[in-house]
Amino acid sequence: MQHVRILRRQVISTVATAILIGSSWAGAAFGFQESPELKALVDAGKLPPVEKRLPKDPLVLTPLESVGTYGGTWRTATFGGGDSEIERSIGYTRLVRWNPEWTEVIPDIAKSVEVNADATEYTFALREGTRWSDGEPFTADDLVWWNENVLRNTKITPAAPGWLTGGGETVKVEKIDDYRVVFKFAAPNGLFLMNMATVRGSDILAAAPAHYLKQFHKDFNPDGIDALVKAAGATDWVQLFNNKTGFPGRWRDLGRPTLDAWVLTAPYNGTTQVVGERNPYYAKVDTAGNQLPYLDRITIDVMQDTQAIILKAISGEIDMQNRFIETTDARPVIVQNQQKGGYGLFIARPAWSNALLITLNQTHKNPALRAVFSNKDFRIGLSHAINREELNQLIYAGQAKPYQAAPREGTALYDEKMATQYLEYNVDLANQYLDKAGLTKRDAEGFRLGQNGKRITFALDALTGSPIQVDALEMIQRYWRAVGIDMQPRPAERSLIFSRLQNNDNDGLGWVGGGGYDFLGLLDPKWYFPHEYESSFATAWGLYYQNPKDPNAEEPSPAAKKQMDLYRQVQEAPTLEKQLAAMKELLAITRDEFYVIGTNLEPDRVGIVKTNMHNVPKVIPSTSFYMTPGPAKPETFYYQQ
Amino acid sequence: MAGFIIRRLLYMIPMMFAISVVTFIIIQLPPGDFLTAMTARLASQNETVDPGVIAGLRERYGLDQPWPVQYWKWISGILLRGDFGQSLDWNKPVSELIWARMGLTMAVSVTTLLFVWAVAFPIGIYSAVRQYSVGDYVATFFGFLGLAIPSFLLALVLMFVSAQYFGQSVGGLFSPNYINAAWSWAKLGDLISHMWIPVVVLGTGATAALIRIMRANLLDELNKPYVDMARSRGLSEIRLLLKYPVRVALNPFVSTVGWVLPHLVSGSVVVSIVLSLPITGPLLLNALFAQDMYLAGTFILLMSMLTLIGTLISDLLLAWLDPRIRNG
Repeated sequence: MQHVRILRRQVISTVATAILIGSSWAGAAFGFQESPELKALVDAGKLPPVEKRLPKDPLVLTPLESVGTYGGTWRTATFGGGDSEIERSIGYTRLVRWNPEWTEVIPDIAKSVEVNADATEYTFALREGTRWSDGEPFTADDLVWWNENVLRNTKITPAAPGWLTGGGETVKVEKIDDYRVVFKFAAPNGLFLMNMATVRGSDILAAAPAHYLKQFHKDFNPDGIDALVKAAGATDWVQLFNNKTGFPGRWRDLGRPTLDAWVLTAPYNGTTQVVGERNPYYAKVDTAGNQLPYLDRITIDVMQDTQAIILKAISGEIDMQNRFIETTDARPVIVQNQQKGGYGLFIARPAWSNALLITLNQTHKNPALRAVFSNKDFRIGLSHAINREELNQLIYAGQAKPYQAAPREGTALYDEKMATQYLEYNVDLANQYLDKAGLTKRDAEGFRLGQNGKRITFALDALTGSPIQVDALEMIQRYWRAVGIDMQPRPAERSLIFSRLQNNDNDGLGWVGGGGYDFLGLLDPKWYFPHEYESSFATAWGLYYQNPKDPNAEEPSPAAKKQMDLYRQVQEAPTLEKQLAAMKELLAITRDEFYVIGTNLEPDRVGIVKTNMHNVPKVIPSTSFYMTPGPAKPETFYYQQ
Repeated sequence: MAGFIIRRLLYMIPMMFAISVVTFIIIQLPPGDFLTAMTARLASQNETVDPGVIAGLRERYGLDQPWPVQYWKWISGILLRGDFGQSLDWNKPVSELIWARMGLTMAVSVTTLLFVWAVAFPIGIYSAVRQYSVGDYVATFFGFLGLAIPSFLLALVLMFVSAQYFGQSVGGLFSPNYINAAWSWAKLGDLISHMWIPVVVLGTGATAALIRIMRANLLDELNKPYVDMARSRGLSEIRLLLKYPVRVALNPFVSTVGWVLPHLVSGSVVVSIVLSLPITGPLLLNALFAQDMYLAGTFILLMSMLTLIGTLISDLLLAWLDPRIRNG
């Protein structure tokens, strides 16, 4: 545990690189061991010895329970069509990553990283002798090549993603020496390392093996590129190049060198099975000097139906997984079949803040609805009208608990008042608030009338793919009818919902709430302030934050503007402490504004793990931002023989 | 006859053109485009995409252009170069995606068709000849049952049974160890051992329908005078049956061959999704969900073309089978 802690400190601290974990773990200090499969290849002369394949001072991972033994296959399943499971299970390798507990960013392929005082320069130190899976060295040149010829090439990258820009300019990577590079931003970018730890960070290393990618790049292969484009059936070289580096195209390219624990041997063609086999050059070892990973192979079955994945799980064909089988309705059958499937359970803790939050678009185009939605008393009244305990019993089998859309308990951003305000189910109180909101007149059917004398009626969009949320909304419809408010749940296909949002045509949403964990709140704050059009409680303000010139954008309220300034502070702060402090200030405004109505905190979900598989944590956060299960160190999972 | 075929083929050209326009309009109808669908999909997985990246992609894919321009880009590629365009979702040529799945699709579909015929014809004939016998009632009972059970439900039940009692792996057409193996006799055997579920599921409804049709048609024919005449001339019962009334009763099958062809490609969407079959159905559905317009458009175009060709074939077969039509 000692060096893990040192590792963590290195990332946030700005101390000199002299205090390095590697120095105490010099490669020669202990003999390295490797898998019998690789040993045989070395003995046959087909592979250099393990000392030659590992960096001089490889990253030492401390296994969660015990040092493991080699062998076995990790069988998982994914849902067809661009799902990120492959990226999460095989592909979670980047310069820095999340720690398993999701409380810090720690070095991964990089040995260490230093941040300057205003978060504009990030200096990464690489491990000397790190190699790509084809044996070629991985050096500073690879990162510089990526930066100059992929990220800053406007043909390949017409617009750099926001997290790789500062002050509107794309990051510049400069080489200090073979094993040190500095990422320079034109303006402070305090969330850079966190963003790198998410799904976004995969793109850098995927587009970095210059020795392989040069052949597909027109600037480096002007004569041969046309033949390659033709052979691949691509429209032009840019598309061909993107297919080698972008998601999910890169998982269809068998020749691609990686730094991952497993190397692709059967491509992701979208229908059958993806296979990865151990990377002989993987740059990490365990505390006993065994080269990781322990497991020989990973197979990912591509399924088209989640029921089939659940069936696979209960018949013992999945070794460790939580996604697709963790839904509330699947839980009983997953729990019941533990014996038969030969698996135990781990907790997959939902990272989102709320099982169902309700937004009402305060920037609605209809002035009557806008007037009521913007009235805080109206929202408070509706909140008191919801019988959350009954929802909990009927929808979540009593496993949930009433909760507003707020950070989870136990996180740094947790705010008790924010999480628990207006939760009480009290129809009289609800009616008082609605009266206070000026909605005292009612029509013959008992529905309240707006200022224009017409009944207040609106629809909440929900995903057709989330039947549980639709069920809950139907119950809420009844609760609200009891206080004279006419709401209709409107299940819709998600692209329909999204195009309504983009045009600010939505009344409101019933949606799963994000930002339960600290990092999720920092990186994806759309439910805490108007951040983008997905902030459906004030869509036009969110559009304004992204682009004030958007035809559907609108000038936000002073409170929302204050929040936007605070979020810019979060982005610019160089340390986690300062970021969290600014975020807390931002959240205090969210609490007072009470933009969205929460219902229940989603109960813990369960994933399955084979009874003889070890080093799997008991609790793993579940969200794509965490890249479940990547940060839980699958390279240290092993089977007891 | 040759003139008839040529005329029919010529009619198909404007028809295909009209279909292609309608296809494209339908695909463009849902609000948003491929990138909206992509953003929405990621958001429902709790991921976000950078707005700047989306704008860049929209320009790159030409999605910011009006739909007639996009249509022209697609259709001119098909007409001039035989290029069906690129799938936005897959970043791959559409034709490659479709053909890659065609082999197994055909294998499943043709086997299903043969299964349906092999089961339905004898039972249908038996039911008609032994009308109101115990056997007829049993066949009728199971026939209606087969018609009534939704195929996806049957798929789930059979999958459960095969996993629970036969220890077979769930879903797909192969066991895990054969999925990526090269073709061999063992792999073929593995395929056959997995094939029965999709074949039974896909075939049950059609078998039941076919039994009823065969029974009804044959009953109409059995009491006609020509049957009595043939019988009076001393033909054996089985020979008589197959040579005259059954042949006439086949008429409706032949005239529906036209629908069988497109069905081979698309008919099994729901079932193949439930069973995770590596065939074209799931690809089509995903293309529609993702608003992957060139892929979806090509699929619909392909199915329309197969319907047209199938109708032509069934007309020709009908003429060959039934002298009344040929000479009429």
